[in-house]
Amino acid sequence: MAKAIAGFTITKPHMLSSLQKTKLDLKPCSEGLWQCSSNGLLSGWLQHKRSNQKRASLSKVNAFPDWPLMAVMVEHIEGQRDLITHKSIWHLSDRAIKNVYVFYLMFTCWGCLFFGSMKDPYYDSEAYRKDGGDGSGHWVYDKQEDIEESARAELWREELIEEIEQKVGGLRELEEAGRK
Amino acid sequence: MASTSLLPKTISPFLTNPPSLPWTHLTTKPSFFNPSADHHLPCTRKPSILTPYAKKKNPWIDIFDDGEDPDMEYGSLFVDGKQDEDTRPVDNPNNPYGFLKFPKGYNVEVAQLGLKIRGDVRRCCCMISGGVYENLLFFPVIQMLKDRYPGILVDVLASDRGKQCYELNKNVRWANVYDPDGDPEPAIYTDMIGVLKNRYYDLILSTKLAGLGHASFMFMSSARDKVSYIYPNVNAAGAGLLLTETFTPDSTNLSEGGYHMYHQMLDWLGRPIYNVPRQPVPPLRVSLSRKLKEYVEAKYRAAGAEKGKYIVIHGIESDSKASMQSRGDTDSLLPLEVWDQIADAISGFKPVFVIPHEKERENVEEIIYNEDIGIVFITTPGQLAALVNDSAGVIATNTAAIQLANARQKPSIALFGSEEKGKVFVPNAEEKKCIIVSSKTGKLKDIDVGAVKQAMQIFDMSLALV
Repeated sequence: MAKAIAGFTITKPHMLSSLQKTKLDLKPCSEGLWQCSSNGLLSGWLQHKRSNQKRASLSKVNAFPDWPLMAVMVEHIEGQRDLITHKSIWHLSDRAIKNVYVFYLMFTCWGCLFFGSMKDPYYDSEAYRKDGGDGSGHWVYDKQEDIEESARAELWREELIEEIEQKVGGLRELEEAGRK
Repeated sequence: MASTSLLPKTISPFLTNPPSLPWTHLTTKPSFFNPSADHHLPCTRKPSILTPYAKKKNPWIDIFDDGEDPDMEYGSLFVDGKQDEDTRPVDNPNNPYGFLKFPKGYNVEVAQLGLKIRGDVRRCCCMISGGVYENLLFFPVIQMLKDRYPGILVDVLASDRGKQCYELNKNVRWANVYDPDGDPEPAIYTDMIGVLKNRYYDLILSTKLAGLGHASFMFMSSARDKVSYIYPNVNAAGAGLLLTETFTPDSTNLSEGGYHMYHQMLDWLGRPIYNVPRQPVPPLRVSLSRKLKEYVEAKYRAAGAEKGKYIVIHGIESDSKASMQSRGDTDSLLPLEVWDQIADAISGFKPVFVIPHEKERENVEEIIYNEDIGIVFITTPGQLAALVNDSAGVIATNTAAIQLANARQKPSIALFGSEEKGKVFVPNAEEKKCIIVSSKTGKLKDIDVGAVKQAMQIFDMSLALV
């Protein structure tokens, strides 16, 4: 064990595939996936690692481009198989996980406020939509005062017309008196 | 500040001083300097000449204000006469917006000259303390403003009850609820200051007796002229610093002045300046809109009254806020027992009782013996005025109804607690077709019903005249 190196390395999945077959036969459902990946997808990724220049010729399909999918801690002893001491599967980095959670949290808050207010009887009630709010979304202040103001202006006009009529009537009477 | 110092400061109460002596003395002097211009004489000269009559000038307001310059030659543009009404800027069909706000050759600055030199008032705000009665008596002041400053826009701040009066006034633009007597919330207070600032008033008239608090409220509105009544006692300390002109009432209750409660203010507003003669005080008039008349007609029809064939009875004793009393006369409501006797005496007309609250309806039905009566529930002065307008006459205690009857020139019988009150609240009663019946004991309750019955001839007389 002296020469053994305990390392935390990112394993190449195609090297893993042999291990997979021997040790993880318990999961037959994942068989298909692993075979598929060992044949097509991940071999392409390895080739890409080896020769960057040739990548244009390869038809690689990368769902998660540079993300470390799996980390395996092995104990390496010369002439023997690697001994897996610890294995962990990472899908996202800490930061990415944090981002996901933050997004989830913010969406929830926004959603509660937004969708919660859509059907709120308070916003449809007189308390919220009274004087000023005409329901169109444009907040009009002093609506009552406006109505009263126009009523007074109307009153002023009425009185003016009355006055003019009286004057005209008086003039007509004068004219008639003059004719007689 | 510069503009206010250019305005001639008036000599104060014209009612109290004998005007002939100082005037003749004054008019000779300036014509010596400018013999051709003797027709535009400022009505005031240096305050030092008028010391016995002039108000003491406060040197803190403007330390460089030495009063009128006696060598100043008036007679140029924007000094003489009243202000002109604002003309509407002409339409311009070539403009994509339909009109030009300032057409070619229109000098915007020229309007400012009149404001500076002549003291034009374009926008005025009246803050009126008190209820319906006080606001109703303020109508002549508004009419005076309209006459004295053509083209003026008058806005009103009044208490919620008082504001309802302005349904009857065609001369007012905006009427907002802000009770100067009350204790407003800080938010409302600051909001109102903002509103007043935004409206850029030239003149603010206030009938609240101002102390430092109210004066600073008016000062913060940054109007050009701030004119207010002040307390006639020590509470007025500091108010004069912030106000342009102050009036001292005879007592702490302005409403005790009766019909002429605002006479100091009217004197100041109608003061002669340069070439403008003294503006006569207009009588109290109210105008009624067609809508209001129709609404009230339906109301009294429902109560079983016919147009021109009923008599309005107003002033039933009640704890309602809508009884429209004056603050200067607290003893101005009659109990229903006395009204019952009066209603019995009415013949030929249907008595229509105005109740200020629905709870009074039962009481009236119970106590009034006369079966043939109408009961109308009215709380606003507008509806009351419309009711009075269609009636044959009014019998009322000292409430707004009596002033409305006078304003609509209807025959009326006014019931007062004492003769002095009657004279104060209804001066020139004969001219107004109003008969004052006053109680001998000084209490309205003990009023002589016989005298009221005798006075009822006035309704028959007016009917005969029609």
